[in-house]
Amino acid sequence: MDWRSGRLPLAGLRVVDWCVYWAGPYLGMMLHDLGAEVIKVESPSSWDPVRTVIDVNRYAGEGARPLTPRERSNVNQHFNEWNRGKLSFAVELLEPRGRELFLQLVAKSHIVIENHRPGAKEKLRIGYEECAAVRPDLIYLSLSGFGQTLPERDAMALGAPVELASGLFSLNGYLGDETPAKTGFSYGDPVGALAALSALLLAVRGWRRTGAGRYLDIAMRDTLSFGAGAAFADWSMNGIERPRRGNRHAVYAPQGVYRAHGDDEWVAISVRDDRDWQALGRALGEPDWHRDAELASAAGRRRRHDEIDARLEAWTSQRGARDIEALLQEAGVPAAAVLDFRQLWHDPQLNARGAFQEVEHPAFGAEVRATSQWARGHLPQPIDAPAPCFGQHNRRVLSEVLGLGPDEIAALEREGIVADEIRAGAD
Amino acid sequence: MATSRPPGAKRVMNDSLADLLVVELSCSAAAAFAGRLCADAGARVVLVEPPAGHPLRHEGPFLRDEPNLETSAAHLHINAGKRSVTLDVEADAETLAGLLQRADVFLTDLPAPVLDPLGLSWRALRGSTPALVMTRVTPFGDTGPYRRYAATNLACLALGGQLKITGDPDRPPLSNFGAQAEYQAGLSAFAGTVANVLLRDATGDGEYLDLSVLDVVATNLEHRSPALNLGLVANRAGLSVSATYGVYPCAGGWVHLTAFSPPLWERLKEMTQVSALEDERFATQAARLERNDELQAMLTEWTISKTSDELRALALRGYPLTVAETPERLLRCEQWRDRAFAREVEHPAAGRVTVLGPPWLEEQPAPGRPAPLLGEANGEYLAPLVETRG
Repeated sequence: MDWRSGRLPLAGLRVVDWCVYWAGPYLGMMLHDLGAEVIKVESPSSWDPVRTVIDVNRYAGEGARPLTPRERSNVNQHFNEWNRGKLSFAVELLEPRGRELFLQLVAKSHIVIENHRPGAKEKLRIGYEECAAVRPDLIYLSLSGFGQTLPERDAMALGAPVELASGLFSLNGYLGDETPAKTGFSYGDPVGALAALSALLLAVRGWRRTGAGRYLDIAMRDTLSFGAGAAFADWSMNGIERPRRGNRHAVYAPQGVYRAHGDDEWVAISVRDDRDWQALGRALGEPDWHRDAELASAAGRRRRHDEIDARLEAWTSQRGARDIEALLQEAGVPAAAVLDFRQLWHDPQLNARGAFQEVEHPAFGAEVRATSQWARGHLPQPIDAPAPCFGQHNRRVLSEVLGLGPDEIAALEREGIVADEIRAGAD
Repeated sequence: MATSRPPGAKRVMNDSLADLLVVELSCSAAAAFAGRLCADAGARVVLVEPPAGHPLRHEGPFLRDEPNLETSAAHLHINAGKRSVTLDVEADAETLAGLLQRADVFLTDLPAPVLDPLGLSWRALRGSTPALVMTRVTPFGDTGPYRRYAATNLACLALGGQLKITGDPDRPPLSNFGAQAEYQAGLSAFAGTVANVLLRDATGDGEYLDLSVLDVVATNLEHRSPALNLGLVANRAGLSVSATYGVYPCAGGWVHLTAFSPPLWERLKEMTQVSALEDERFATQAARLERNDELQAMLTEWTISKTSDELRALALRGYPLTVAETPERLLRCEQWRDRAFAREVEHPAAGRVTVLGPPWLEEQPAPGRPAPLLGEANGEYLAPLVETRG
């Protein structure tokens, strides 16, 4: 793949991205990163709720003046993160003429992705059957909590709660705790998006070879359970519920997250084997407790893990997390500062790999965006465009893709079939 | 059996990569997950293991908790469907190079400083096998100041920002279960590999992907953008972000309520039938946040009066809640039977074991395939190479 020369696997493909929140839009953005033209479709009466529901709309450029709905819908920092590089086409899907335009766009596209609940697709009549009727070789992907199959088809699960439905929540937790734990963000979304992307790329390969369309059904729940599949294999063999393991590891001992000097500062340390253990001892200046013969073996360290944790934390809590990381890494021991999000921006590794770039957004101003995860290192990806404002590319889509003339487009605008502003109050 | 599959709709084919030979040389779960997905998509995947076995084979739990290279649960899941050959690569790189001559995809997590001196650099391989697609997934990638850092799954979660926000606010950051940093990277490595296979289909030329686990973890972050652009830094929130978005105890389990928007709040009221929620004091989202603790107490009173089964029945009707499940219960659920997601396989050493996946619905679910016995394909894949060399 080469972003500069445009040697990209999905070049020449057009995607209709009728998605909301995180998982679906993230999938659309990754398709853009792989070379597809991605058209984000929303309605003036029903836009991607991330634009307005999630209240992180503080406007960087202005003072205390309240934002108009239009301003508010174009500056959301979740929306702008997961929709960069797309074209925005805002068409009223509740109107017959709007639905017709949607299907005309589908007919000129190769892929449709959506993550609406089954009822929404039925109501608007733009599900797989209706779309395949206008484009028989279409690849149509539905991404949902539980899949498009009964009995759980209509159950609701966004990327955070779906972790409970997947079994992962029950497996998470602090050492020995009765209470499970949830990953600290909507973990089902990125995992579901990556699995959906995988299935879609397989379908594109099939389409290029045989011309066959596909209907792809991805359940975020299944994608999370798959990542914890060892626990399911274990249950099927042994039928035992295991105690929660916290930050400990089946083989590495000790492994933990230890308090470092400062407020809410932590360092993660793993001792993978006896060699790491000896190296750790040297880095710590060979303290007496480390010389204990029983601790020379992993079995001994596992037996006395609590005691080692206390000794280690007495040492780590006197030092900065980054200093500990550098000292132990110098000795070859896996140690890593526990970074917060702001620290990522300054992290030398992520920066050396070109993980972030600034982009100028027409409504927000300068924004930091993540680049494509497949374009790091030798090939930093030039970010071509920020996320679109609502309806920003209506005219371009109507004229260049659908072949409408200026008079027809003006009429659609007049009648509110297309719009470049959300219908305030519809929220 | 109830399905709602549109008539005539075709799904993912499990022979999408059937024409490919994938050679996987790995010591971590990231590359191994990518290899597993290649096998799910129909590729022949040859897992090159050290004579002592892939590290996943050494990781418990095992069948009956008895350490055994063939019965580790992680190995049985992540290496399912692959062929195994054993090779001391550092002593005999020539045999691996021979195997790679026939390969379409080379999947590895060994860093350049290990492979390059063995003549297995991308440049060298490309010289002899111009159509090879090579994916290297390492903790930090080929470039940058941490490229020689020692790393584990936990270290990648820590440096990538996912660890700091998981767990209770008054306790240390908490890793989630399993090797989740490596799982995310495995998915990304698989997608990137198939993307490069698509390019190769078009051009006939090989491609190289340098993927970093850290890059994937730091990219898959929900609140990074508000933090970097607005200074809003998320902290560990434990089980509950707010009364209308969090985990509650119920009779015999846990349930997540999701009512952060006005329409969802209406659905929540309809579901609970708790009249006090109609009170003016909770009429707006701002008011609900202001009276968060009071609202949480009222909702807890409702959730603990319900059993998990009663709540599941409400979830099936589309109400905004999600019930916590265990592996035990999921392995019996109708949804997975219908989707053929949990497949029982017969393994020569482990007996009957359930293997999940693939994580997409297939056109015609293939029977599950077990993980290989150590070195079981040596005769098929390595012996001819050794014989040719004489």
